[in-house]
Amino acid sequence: MILGLSIFVMFCSVLLILLVLLHKGKGGGLSDLFGGGVTSSLGGSSVVERNLDRLTVATAIVWIVCVVGLGLLLNRGGV
Amino acid sequence: MLGAFVRAFRTPDLRNKLLFTLFILTIFRLGSVIPAPGVNSAAIRDQMEQVQAADDAGIYALVNLFSGGALLQLAVFALGIMPYITASIIINLLTVVIPRLETLKKEGQAGQGKITQYTRYLTLALAVLQATSIVAMARTGQLFQGQIRPETYLPDQSILTLVTIVFVMTAGTGIIMWFGELITERGVGNGMSLLIFTQVIAVFPSSIMGLWEEQDTWLFALICVAGLVLITGVVFMEQAQRRIPVQYAKRMVGRRMYGGSSTYIPLKVNQAGIIPVIFASSLLYLPQLAIGLLGEDSSNPVVRFLQEYFVGGTHPVYMATFFFLIVGFAFFYVAITFNPAEVAENMKKYGGFIPGIRPGRPTAEYLDFVLTRLTTPGSLYLGLIALLPMIALGTAGAQQGFPFGGTSILIMVGVGLDTVKQIESHLQQRNYEGFLR
Repeated sequence: MILGLSIFVMFCSVLLILLVLLHKGKGGGLSDLFGGGVTSSLGGSSVVERNLDRLTVATAIVWIVCVVGLGLLLNRGGV
Repeated sequence: MLGAFVRAFRTPDLRNKLLFTLFILTIFRLGSVIPAPGVNSAAIRDQMEQVQAADDAGIYALVNLFSGGALLQLAVFALGIMPYITASIIINLLTVVIPRLETLKKEGQAGQGKITQYTRYLTLALAVLQATSIVAMARTGQLFQGQIRPETYLPDQSILTLVTIVFVMTAGTGIIMWFGELITERGVGNGMSLLIFTQVIAVFPSSIMGLWEEQDTWLFALICVAGLVLITGVVFMEQAQRRIPVQYAKRMVGRRMYGGSSTYIPLKVNQAGIIPVIFASSLLYLPQLAIGLLGEDSSNPVVRFLQEYFVGGTHPVYMATFFFLIVGFAFFYVAITFNPAEVAENMKKYGGFIPGIRPGRPTAEYLDFVLTRLTTPGSLYLGLIALLPMIALGTAGAQQGFPFGGTSILIMVGVGLDTVKQIESHLQQRNYEGFLR
């Protein structure tokens, strides 16, 4: 159980890092490769960007739940 | 004053931005309290109250300050924005050295974006490094100077758990970076500095409480008054600027008349803001990191040297290094951000001139001269303010954990003023629109 959850948390962490890196950091990141064209800062975010945001938030929620769960499991096991 | 707040919340656009910023900051603080898996933070807190000395040790205090107490609790966000700051410092310094980065910087927005992207990669690389060293230090109990037995807060010391902690902390840094960008993009103020601001503010009440319990009432009052005076002084210095008058010649473009107005270039006394202090303190954190990596055996001459001069934060050599680094970085940063030749060139293009000085090269020289003369007291002031708590520590024997530490005051005042100004400009935008339509 602990082993599985640990591996899952690691997997989620890596996924999260990749997702964050996919965001463009204030102008011209990797996401420009997918979006194509120049999206001005006034025009809001593109569809790709919005979906990326949603995906990141979802992953982050799963990640934090797993982290807390794992923490509880480990602490109970330790005591 | 209150009217402005009401107006800020009546503007739907601004209200959304403010609420969004607050929301992100709340999540950020929440993440700074959730312990990483396998860490028993209740045990740490218990022990900490008994020992008390652990979190006061010079350099750790500063790092812990930047992470809002999250570091010593081994929280999910334990690393805070430290890796991002270090990464941007390194990239900034490399811009001067590596020609490729310099061309990228001159390319404008696209190149700037690429530099940002490099910074982000470097941040995560540094995060892995720092997380590993912190976990290693926590495992041996070195993180708390051996005051707390590692078994109490890390009950399960298997490799699997330790690796998981490293992964979680690294991902946490990534999220923090993303938060900062989100605030910059959709909220008010600069995200990264607001995050630092939050962490500094977060430890403030507890250190005031600590002071209240330790000191007698009169000394407490005295320290509070001194802090207020200090804040007033810092606000004064941060706002101080020299206004260089610029006269624009009248010119006709088609049938329209342009120019003919006189404005000024505001040159702040402390043009660089708090960045030199942050640069210097995170640079001086490196020896600590090196010791953590090299191991603490005192036979190694490098370790012994570092330990004698650069750990603890009260040694004169340390203080002098800190001071000179701040002064140097202040000049360096001003040179990076404000280019007199470029400003003079732009002014010449649009028919502007400083009264009494020829446009072009003489103007650039004049601006350079004024800027250097302004930055000299500015950088000295920065260095002195940053050194103040250390001097107080060393000479007066004041209790450690002085809440009005120089760095934290500079950050609080600097970021606070910046954010308020941004909110105000948003408000003004609204009101002007209202007038005109």
